[in-house]
Amino acid sequence: MANLLFYLMAVGAVVASLGVVVSRSPIASILSLLASFFCLATIYLLAGMEFVAAAQILVYGGAVMVLFLFVVMLLNLGAPESAPDAAPRRRWAMPAALATSAALGLSIFVGVLGQDGVQAADAGAGLQEVDTLAGLAELLFGRYLLPFEAGSVLLLAAAVAVIVLAKRQRAAAAGRLHQGESEREAA
Amino acid sequence: MTVPNEHLLILAGILFSIGVGGFFLRRNLIVVLMSIELMLNAANLTFIAGSRAHSSSGEPNLEGGLFAIFVILVAAVEAAVGLALVIALYRRKQTVSVADLDELGD
Repeated sequence: MANLLFYLMAVGAVVASLGVVVSRSPIASILSLLASFFCLATIYLLAGMEFVAAAQILVYGGAVMVLFLFVVMLLNLGAPESAPDAAPRRRWAMPAALATSAALGLSIFVGVLGQDGVQAADAGAGLQEVDTLAGLAELLFGRYLLPFEAGSVLLLAAAVAVIVLAKRQRAAAAGRLHQGESEREAA
Repeated sequence: MTVPNEHLLILAGILFSIGVGGFFLRRNLIVVLMSIELMLNAANLTFIAGSRAHSSSGEPNLEGGLFAIFVILVAAVEAAVGLALVIALYRRKQTVSVADLDELGD
């Protein structure tokens, strides 16, 4: 069962990655990338790396994807042919939304109903999972504390860099504005 | 999961090749950044496979997963800075196409 899921997710990851590279519209690329990330997170989960799977979903699926989508929509790069194509695409929106919510609801339903069986089967495995996480934390805050701190400094530097990159333009524009005002005053 | 490790590595190789192809073939800078993310993900999968190859049944090896987390951190930083650069570039030149950025090649 787990092996079958792995091969299913492997095929899904490859197809979604091809979709990223092949598709014309940047929005479709981003959504394919999201699907690829989810498939890979499932593979990490199957390989016994629960925390990596969670980090993958949180950081990639949550933060990085939103960043990409935000930039594409901010720069208005999504599908320039939007006006004539809008109507046929919207026809698929409602069935797609219904299917997605039905699948999510079904998974919650199955998860809640099937909980007893899962707990009985995985009682031993559950204990081991906690051990994996504790071992990861011991490594992260023990032997690899220095890379961890370096990573946090890197994040801080990136935050400052992004603010500077976004702000410099505004300062230059303000400078130009001031220059224009003084020229007008001089005239 | 009893999948042999070779299959994980083959999958990682395929994903990395797709990422490299997108990096070299696509002109849109945002898609190029996404191809880099694909390559980093393939590297993560290789780390996980290596961790799996070195762990025995009683004692799991976790260092591969740890480095996968570091790679995820660096990938997030790379995406943030890269997209900020894309926005700065778009403000300056009104384009995100690699083909239009040829000042250094002239």
